[in-house]
Amino acid sequence: MKKDMLSNGFHGICSVALVALAGTIVPASAQDKYPSRPIELVVPWGPGGGADQLARKIAPALEKELKVSLPVINVAGATGQTGLNKMLTSPADGYSISIFIADTLALQMDPATKWKIEDIVPAAVMIRQPSAFFVAENSPLKTWKDIEAEAKKRPLKVAITGFGSADDLHVIYFTQKGLKLTSVPFAKPAERYTAILGGHADILYEQLGDVKSFLDGKQMRPVLIFSEARFPAFGNVPASFELGHRIAISQFRSIAMKAGTDQGRVKGVSDALAKVAATDDYKAWLKDQYADEKSFIPAAGAVAFMKQELETMRKYAPKK
Amino acid sequence: MEGILSNLAVGFVHVFQPVNFLVLAIGIILGLLVAVLPGLTLVMGVVLALPFTYSMEVIPAIILLTAMYISGTYAGAWTSILFHVPGEPIDVPLLWDGYQMARKGRAAQALGWTLLSAFAGGMVAAVVMVLLAQPVARIALTFSTPEYFAILFFGLSSVVSLGGSSLTNALISLFAGLLIATVGVDDTYGTHRFTFNVPILSDGIDYLVVMVGAYGLGEVFLRLEQGFKSVPLDAVGKIRTRLPRLREVLATKMTFLRGSATGIIVGLVPGAGATVSSFLSYGIEGQYGRRRQKLGTGIPEGIIAPQTAATASVGGAIIPLVTMGIPGSGATAIILGAFLLHGLQPGPQVFQTSSHIIYAMFASVFVGIVVMCAIGYFATKYMVKVLAFPEVIVSAYVVMMCILGAFAARNNITDVWLVAIFGVLGYLFERFKFPITPLVLGVILGPLAESSFMTSMISYSNDWTVFFTRPISGPIMLIAILTLLYPVFRRMRQRMKQRIASQ
Repeated sequence: MKKDMLSNGFHGICSVALVALAGTIVPASAQDKYPSRPIELVVPWGPGGGADQLARKIAPALEKELKVSLPVINVAGATGQTGLNKMLTSPADGYSISIFIADTLALQMDPATKWKIEDIVPAAVMIRQPSAFFVAENSPLKTWKDIEAEAKKRPLKVAITGFGSADDLHVIYFTQKGLKLTSVPFAKPAERYTAILGGHADILYEQLGDVKSFLDGKQMRPVLIFSEARFPAFGNVPASFELGHRIAISQFRSIAMKAGTDQGRVKGVSDALAKVAATDDYKAWLKDQYADEKSFIPAAGAVAFMKQELETMRKYAPKK
Repeated sequence: MEGILSNLAVGFVHVFQPVNFLVLAIGIILGLLVAVLPGLTLVMGVVLALPFTYSMEVIPAIILLTAMYISGTYAGAWTSILFHVPGEPIDVPLLWDGYQMARKGRAAQALGWTLLSAFAGGMVAAVVMVLLAQPVARIALTFSTPEYFAILFFGLSSVVSLGGSSLTNALISLFAGLLIATVGVDDTYGTHRFTFNVPILSDGIDYLVVMVGAYGLGEVFLRLEQGFKSVPLDAVGKIRTRLPRLREVLATKMTFLRGSATGIIVGLVPGAGATVSSFLSYGIEGQYGRRRQKLGTGIPEGIIAPQTAATASVGGAIIPLVTMGIPGSGATAIILGAFLLHGLQPGPQVFQTSSHIIYAMFASVFVGIVVMCAIGYFATKYMVKVLAFPEVIVSAYVVMMCILGAFAARNNITDVWLVAIFGVLGYLFERFKFPITPLVLGVILGPLAESSFMTSMISYSNDWTVFFTRPISGPIMLIAILTLLYPVFRRMRQRMKQRIASQ
């Protein structure tokens, strides 16, 4: 084991040298076999959040399938754009792939956004989860009714990941209905959860699975779940549709590659992901995360899925 | 209390099992390596080690990462002191007094103070972590973005005490650093700033490139001009880490205490880790230290303050992680990931359900610090011999480390060009008596300060008074502003005196 450890410590430096060599001297031979060196998996969000957990879950399984290591790198900021930029500024050779989630896709509604959905190719959608509004267990606001009443009197702060995200759209939807809600962006999950537990924000928008530890630890509770029907594990929490709020943008998390990457390489990654998603271990994890058990969508269907999700978001977005 | 001690005893039993102890030793050594290499930051090192823990049992997995975290806050000081290349951003404050001390031929003493500081800060924080985890955890929750901003503002305002002779030059340097930090996609609204449609610039300028270039290469360029010479050291071969005498330690006990307390509190806060605590502690020493006037000239206090705080922040950051499931720093966020991967959810319930794992982690902090200091003591004995090498050769090695470090950060050749540019900039700064530190400080702390400022403004509907009216952020802001104004007042008073004297 000691040997493994040391070789890992050395790995960074060796791979640096290899990258330099492969990039300048032998570009042709590098294309023959894919993957032939480590693939960097960019997480455009801080460690500990849902995107990070997905990356940490699939990286080891994917390493077994692809037979190369997949170092996971967290590059948080700008609703996932800082990390996405990191992937998009790398060569389109399939050696830099990124987690791509609904929050970042939602930015496409702003025409000023510098990147286009066509700049990326999804390899697969890995997980789809319902989102919810949460309050701290010790908050004076106990139910959605309490929040509705209070938000008509004073502005309530909602901790979200970033402006323009799906989180933000849900908040905007309710402000249009006359509730005084203010989105406050916290890109790092730790800061978002501190905000709600420390009483610095009133409401948290998050996926159920991401705050499982806080739900189990009786620190937070869901007050409104965004879905068509009630969620079995939280039978006493209303679903948005039953209250007449027909809004439920699914939080999906996918693996994306840079557009222009060789089709065969995208398919290679997509097929490997399909194998990972089919394992019992992964299915059990989905259940544990309160996710849709049919979450997985391969590369072929993922583009259409994302375009449709974007349509749904546009429908709910505020008219400018 | 007894319950805590018996739990901790069980924790020690876990740590001293052969496999676990081996993992701990490996973790300590890996952490030391990561800290020494400027291209690999501490958090990056822990991230790289994480995949190896997938197949491990949960206890060795946590011990490995915790051990790396502890020693990662220590060894970067060696390169700061010996080569003027900070191994981690944490170690930037050690350049001032630590490197000065080494230049005066007292490298062994500087390393000795570093060792003792890491030991003391780490141990104090570990004791607080074990005994007071539950009550202290609540402090972390009272901190919100205005408090983060106040802490960072204080850190930035400390440039005054670090700026040396000219306040104006220090401020120019600081603002240049802040400007460099704004390049890239902004964190709050995703606006592209100063990117000029160059893809690599939209990724931002890494503080690592600035730090390594301005300090490492800048120093080498300066020597190129002045001519290389060997450090005035007599009989380097006889030198080994010289631990300070008890009398010297007692004389600086307040610095140890302040440093440890700063480290623990900053560690607790989710937005800040070892780097912020190290800068902040040095700044506080510059305000309240008994020998604050001499700070920066190579006195032990300038080593003790940042190093105790950096290592103490480990214990501080672990507290909110285990009691609430909120990581207090970048490295603890990765450790949280390791917990989650093993199906363990840190939080209030974990003390009931899996207390043996938590106490094994606590125990590994104590044992880790001892192992780290033992390795450090014997390693530094050989490290100081580097000073006997001709400076030309050491400089060549420094240049190599700088270039490797710049490339390793993002695997991008543009960063190597950037490091060269910042090397020249660092040289020019040094040549024309502009301090480099404020520049680097601006680049490291600027983005953190900006995002906490923006979030506060959004959160409190653009009411800027919030920074002054909240009970914790208010006093910190006030102290920071007084720090900024003090040199101006001092100069005005001096001029008045001169005028009176000349009349």
